[in-house]
Amino acid sequence: MPITSTSWLSNYITEYKNDEMFTPQNGVKPYWNKLLTEFDKLGYDGLMARQRDIDWLLSENGVTYNVYNDPQGMHRPWNLNVVPFLLRQAEWKTVENGLKQRAQLLNLVLKDIYGEGNLIKNGIVPHEVIHGHRGFLRQCSGIEYSTEKFLSIYAADLSRGTDGRLWVVNDRAEAPSGMGYALENRSTTNRILPEIYAKMNVKRLSGFFKEFNQMLVDASPIKKDNPNIAILTPGSHNETYFEHAYLSSFLGYPLVQGNDLVVRDGFVWMKSLKGLKQIDVILRRVDDAFTDPLELREDSQLGVAGLLDVVRRKNVSIINPVGSGVIENPGLIPFMPAIARYLLNEDLILPQIASWWCGQEQERKFVLNNLSQLVIKRIDRTNRESIHFAEFMTTQQLNDLKREIELTPYRFVAQEKISFSTAPNLVDGTIESRNLVTRTFCIASNNDYSVMPGGLVRVAPDRETIRVSNQRGGTSKDFWVLEDGPVKEDITRHWQKRSSLAASGLNDLPSLTAENLYWAGRYVGRTLVNARFLRMVMRQMALVQNKNEKPDSVKLQVLFKAVTHLTGTYPGFAEKSPDGKMAMEDPMQEMLSVILDKDRPGSLAHNLAMFGNSYYSIRNLWSSDMWRVFENIQKIWQSFEEGQDRSINKILKVLNQLITRLIAFMGLIEESILVQQGLLLYFIGLQLEQSMLTITKCRSLLTIKYEEQVEYDLLEYLLTSHESLNIYRYSYRSHIQLEHLLDLVVLDLEYPRSLTFMLNRIQKDIARLPHSRKDNNLSNYQKYVFDAFSKLRLAESSNLVKTKSETDYFREDLDELLENLSELLYRTSQSISSTYFNHTDKQNQLVTQSFPF
Amino acid sequence: MIFNVKHTTKYEYNAPVIYCHNIATLRPRESKGQQLLDYKIQITPQPAEISERIDYFGNYITRFSIQTEHIELKVTTKSKIVRDYAQFQDSFFSEVCRGITLDQTLLALRSTDPDILDARQYILESIFIGRADNNIRDYAEVSFKRNRSVFDAAFELMQRIYTDFQFVSGFTSISTPVAEVMKEKKGVCQDFAQIAIACIRSVGLPARYVSGYIETVPPKGKEKLVGADASHAWFSIFIPGFGWVDFDPTNNLIPMDQHIVVGWGRDYYDVPPLKGVVYGSGKSKLKVAVDIQAAM
Repeated sequence: MPITSTSWLSNYITEYKNDEMFTPQNGVKPYWNKLLTEFDKLGYDGLMARQRDIDWLLSENGVTYNVYNDPQGMHRPWNLNVVPFLLRQAEWKTVENGLKQRAQLLNLVLKDIYGEGNLIKNGIVPHEVIHGHRGFLRQCSGIEYSTEKFLSIYAADLSRGTDGRLWVVNDRAEAPSGMGYALENRSTTNRILPEIYAKMNVKRLSGFFKEFNQMLVDASPIKKDNPNIAILTPGSHNETYFEHAYLSSFLGYPLVQGNDLVVRDGFVWMKSLKGLKQIDVILRRVDDAFTDPLELREDSQLGVAGLLDVVRRKNVSIINPVGSGVIENPGLIPFMPAIARYLLNEDLILPQIASWWCGQEQERKFVLNNLSQLVIKRIDRTNRESIHFAEFMTTQQLNDLKREIELTPYRFVAQEKISFSTAPNLVDGTIESRNLVTRTFCIASNNDYSVMPGGLVRVAPDRETIRVSNQRGGTSKDFWVLEDGPVKEDITRHWQKRSSLAASGLNDLPSLTAENLYWAGRYVGRTLVNARFLRMVMRQMALVQNKNEKPDSVKLQVLFKAVTHLTGTYPGFAEKSPDGKMAMEDPMQEMLSVILDKDRPGSLAHNLAMFGNSYYSIRNLWSSDMWRVFENIQKIWQSFEEGQDRSINKILKVLNQLITRLIAFMGLIEESILVQQGLLLYFIGLQLEQSMLTITKCRSLLTIKYEEQVEYDLLEYLLTSHESLNIYRYSYRSHIQLEHLLDLVVLDLEYPRSLTFMLNRIQKDIARLPHSRKDNNLSNYQKYVFDAFSKLRLAESSNLVKTKSETDYFREDLDELLENLSELLYRTSQSISSTYFNHTDKQNQLVTQSFPF
Repeated sequence: MIFNVKHTTKYEYNAPVIYCHNIATLRPRESKGQQLLDYKIQITPQPAEISERIDYFGNYITRFSIQTEHIELKVTTKSKIVRDYAQFQDSFFSEVCRGITLDQTLLALRSTDPDILDARQYILESIFIGRADNNIRDYAEVSFKRNRSVFDAAFELMQRIYTDFQFVSGFTSISTPVAEVMKEKKGVCQDFAQIAIACIRSVGLPARYVSGYIETVPPKGKEKLVGADASHAWFSIFIPGFGWVDFDPTNNLIPMDQHIVVGWGRDYYDVPPLKGVVYGSGKSKLKVAVDIQAAM
């Protein structure tokens, strides 16, 4: 047992020979000791509190990692351990040089693979290692690039081997992830452990990101100061979507999906609100094969048809270029020393895992004879799921694997099984040892590569696990490279934003973002209005009768039907359902379904889910306060869904909570997003939705004349659900009358909840949209709103309340007005959609073919 | 022989297409015993841009995009070709070509001679022809024996496919996996070519897919119908020391002058005559007509 000055290690079980903290003589390395001493100052409770702070901050900031098919749902919280990973500058220097060399080398390999092919011709690399790799895209051969280097971003996974050196475990080049998480980890530890961070002389990351930005700017095929740069994401379901959104807001470049971009006249354009905007550089997180459905995977909906040809014409730069996935290739490892000598006349600085490529006869024999001692990978599938740890396999599995290898030997590489180093990790209140892998990042910079002084450290979930991956749970660490002396603060931390695209406002808003904002507004509005109405109906149910009884009062029946009209959950209370059942027979059951059935379009649960979707897909725009409220809404709803209590009181309580949070959320939106970032679209969506629902409400409650008492109650209900009862009383100080109600809720020009007010506001808002006309002619959607507004201005409440005769019960004028308004607003919405969010051109293949793998 | 080939592809859409990007592999490439004298491509509506390049395999690729709304896309190519391939017929039956056995071939393929290195790519799996299953392997091994001439084996394989498989159009599509064609023993020329390729690769030899045309000869005394000719596909096997030899399993013969090569690749995926991405909401109907006239 090594002696340490701290008590942190009393439960620390590890192989001392290969733990980050210990010297070969089993002493604690001085810089780790320094960290533990700092932990001493915090004490047990203090350190635990810091970990809780970290967890809290990450969840506040909505840092997530999506796990496909995860029963816990998408958007799993990101974990960061309070204990950082430490490396001294002296050792880092060697690693840095090794990484630069490897980046340089792989850059040349990539150029050669798609260029002259000398490595194969001269027998340095067997052709199957390249030609048999799925990532070798023949469509990309011969392309010339305007960037000096082929490989602009390179990431390497490093682990410390038993010889005490850091080894390269994986090469990542296609669309390396992790940089954003590393940055987020840093900004979190920096905030939560400020005093320790300062004392430990940690190298800063900001300089690296500045260079990263410069690299993107320099990548522009036509040299200009303000190239248009966009970040291409596969969408909000991608596992690292958080990072895409994070980098987008950090770097200030629009986050786009394939659908946002289009190829015309040999250039790539972004569909923005104003029109098409030419894009010079794409930082892409879409995999190679999916980037261009014209030339690559035909069934991809994530790419841009014709993109590769634009690259070929040097009219856009893709970072990294399409095709770079071929060097994510463990088949290259055995040949790397020879490649280094051939291309650079150097020896590799960083060691690699001993690897045997099965395409060679001797190596294959060795592998087949020693299979159970090895780790087997496919040359072109390096994700964890495709790695075979032979020691854990049954005889049957081993035989199957052998047969696989014999059938297509060139596809397999076997690697030595080695135990990588462990490092301390805070687990349930004690510090325990865990295996880890470090992802490091290089970017092209002038004639060389720059290395991020740090990286993303991923830690195995338990002591037994040697596979480390976020897909399987586990946690992450911040990576501190320690200088011997104090670190100079980088004063140019906030470099000049040079992108014209980011700053220039509404016109350049990607139309998909605009559409999501518009729908976020509509769904927020819909959820709020419906929640309020449902709350009011629930209250009446509680007062008037036993909840499961068939309603005997007319007013309840009217309310129930209004629920169906408002939510659009037909047949509902309005019509007989196809199986002949009437919802009226058991109103509570129908109400529960309208509230909770998330598979039923129009239900509250469904609206919440839709709201969540539009929210996630534009999360780069939201502030952390909004995130918190949003999370809170989700939690309230989730615990309601999971709970058993379906009593009216419980429902009322949940609706109350939900309504309060929604209002808080709406307030935050208004102060967190700028109009030119798209807030305008949100407002238009919100106001349109609220207007439409007000119309529906009035139509279902007011157009039929009922007996006096019923009518009075209905008026009151409407005012209640519209949150206007107090204002009504204040304004009219009288018995509720339809005429006054119409004046207030429908015709008032000053009252923000009145229909006329809302339409007036929509009118002003849409006038600011890029295609609105300011001259003598209005655009279509402007005409519809103007028409609706005028109809309201010309209406008179004293006429609207009338029926044809005393005995007639139908208020025809009112109904006609509302029907007209409803139609006009529907057309407005259609016209706005087709003018600004035209994604209706579905992408089809001329010849339908499925991609076999 | 000099041929005039007219190839028309027409897509009719039932809803307007806003724009489209397309790739055509229609211009006949340079190949052994064949020369292109003249070539024209005509596209309606007029493409906003059109460009041509040579792909990885040496085929001509025409890329174009149409940015005007349309409900019909028509691509017509007219090629004038000298085909003088029959002259090589005797060489296939020469000792250089026939004399090499499977074992000798496999050994010769280890060389890093540029021609052989290039040919070796066609041993590997490709997009449409994955790793052979046992059915294919077994089928191949009936013909391919260690000490048997590779040429003879390939010739026999072609004959067997011709006899065992039924030509049924419409039964398969380009997405039908080779394994299924093998099971059903039905298909069209491209299926037969791909079956042969899968078999040849399963024994470790290079085989490629050839896309082209075939001139049909009308029954005696009858006029040839316009458009009766067809796009066609066959396979080619690499024999070290000799080169590539074409076989047509659909017609059970080694192509001569009636076959016209357009392009080749690892399988159909590499050389589709016309493909594209279309933006619009409708469905399409395809009509293809090929007309080959021997010119004087």
